[in-house]
Amino acid sequence: MGNQDEKTTSKVANSILIETAARKRERKQLLIISLVCIFLFFGIWEIAVRLNWIDGKYLCAPSAVIKTFMTKLSDPKPDGAVLGIHIITSLKLVLIGYIAAIIIGVPLGLLMGYYHTFDKLVSPIFEIIRPIPPIAWIPLSIIWLGVGTAAKCFIIFLAAFVPCVINSYTGVKLTPPVLVNVAKTCGATRWEIFSTVCVHYAMPLTFTGIQVSLGNAWSTLVASELVSATAGLGYMIQQGRSLVRPDIILVGMLTIGILGAIFTTLLSKLENKVVKWRAKS
Amino acid sequence: MRTKNQKIRDFVLSAISVIVLIALWCAVSTSKPDFFPTPMATIERLVKLFEKPIMKVSIWGHIFASLKRVLFAIGASIIIGVGLGLIMGWNKKVRAAIYPIIMTLRPIPPIAWIPLIILLFGVGEFPKVLLVFIGSVFPILLNTISAVSMVDDMYLKVGKVYKANTWQTLHHIVFPASMPTILAGIKIAISSGWMVVVAAEMLASKSGLGFLITRGRDSYDVALIMVAMILIGIVGAALSIVFSFIERRLCGWMSS
Repeated sequence: MGNQDEKTTSKVANSILIETAARKRERKQLLIISLVCIFLFFGIWEIAVRLNWIDGKYLCAPSAVIKTFMTKLSDPKPDGAVLGIHIITSLKLVLIGYIAAIIIGVPLGLLMGYYHTFDKLVSPIFEIIRPIPPIAWIPLSIIWLGVGTAAKCFIIFLAAFVPCVINSYTGVKLTPPVLVNVAKTCGATRWEIFSTVCVHYAMPLTFTGIQVSLGNAWSTLVASELVSATAGLGYMIQQGRSLVRPDIILVGMLTIGILGAIFTTLLSKLENKVVKWRAKS
Repeated sequence: MRTKNQKIRDFVLSAISVIVLIALWCAVSTSKPDFFPTPMATIERLVKLFEKPIMKVSIWGHIFASLKRVLFAIGASIIIGVGLGLIMGWNKKVRAAIYPIIMTLRPIPPIAWIPLIILLFGVGEFPKVLLVFIGSVFPILLNTISAVSMVDDMYLKVGKVYKANTWQTLHHIVFPASMPTILAGIKIAISSGWMVVVAAEMLASKSGLGFLITRGRDSYDVALIMVAMILIGIVGAALSIVFSFIERRLCGWMSS
């Protein structure tokens, strides 16, 4: 009998081994498909430009983009600044607007979620302003604040502000009444319930809002620099268009994309650190 | 349940906040009417806009021009995003083939495409629709992929028991099960598309609500800027309300 049992166990173990091997093989196969396709994508693009299927004046080959990227690191021509200056200019704007939006937006949303009177007072104004895209504010903010840093930061602030408020508001609203009641039973004051129970419960959702805000801020930055600037990544691609230099445009787009992806990754790393207690589903 | 008294109190509070907002607007604008038109001046400008067309296009024409671009692009995004998303969510090999390319393109904000698209396709209708398409296809596509790959295994097994073929499984099981997530993606796509169309029209256009803003800036007609912003807000809000209605119709079982 014991022998029989051993046999079945080894059979099961074998089948598991075979299955994991099959899974490994499948994963390898999928990775190869991915790599081949991405090479094909860039390869076809390169060939299409080289063979003049697409006019090189309007779209340049990936190899040319890499070449321009390398020269732009040290050469301020033809758009007036090296890539590093453009990046720093843009980063400064985004950080000011974004941090201001977090500092004002998150507490506002949390308070609105908890204090009913405050909510009813503030939310009508918020609901009136919310549907207007931040980009539509550009001309008005230029008239009010001039063409400098302030106007651009204001627009980025508007873009980042809305998700911060909405998510922290929803987070507090979703706090289970059980938790609030337990705190009440233990004799917590309203402020204590808010600051220890609701704020903590709202944190994961708030963080999601902060992440969405970053995406919004980053894409609005480009818009604000397209309209008026003297340096910055948005300005760089706009210059590339007026000079008919597709390679400059593509370098700008690539830099914007890479930086955006880096920020998102950094922020989700930070999120895992700060919101440790969140249940992993 | 809120009592009647509380409802009245809520209403009074909301009314107070709107009144304060309008009062603030009046206070700021009367001191600097050139910078900031008064509420009355803004309403007058709106009435004038109904009577006197800009660039030979009436106000309804401008609203319609923007709406047309967004709706065309959203239609294309739904067809391509949902179609491709279903295939990519269903078939691992197709997903492995296309996903990396999408992930390379996705972090580039749609607005950053504007200069390249203008360089490639000029300033006609097609480039604007294309831009809105770029802004709206990703949320639909990504939501569809994740919805399809997260369909409950149980449903698929039931389909297998009843000997459903691939088409039947997709049509009767996978598609309805992923419907709520797909609709959520479309909702995000509509608001993002509306933002992109305003940006595209502000940069290069002769019609549309975004154009009205640029027009107001160029002729230093601040009241026109305000009117255009308010209209953009109203139409944007209306779009999302209409879509929520459609969502409830298509996916009634979700709201209960």
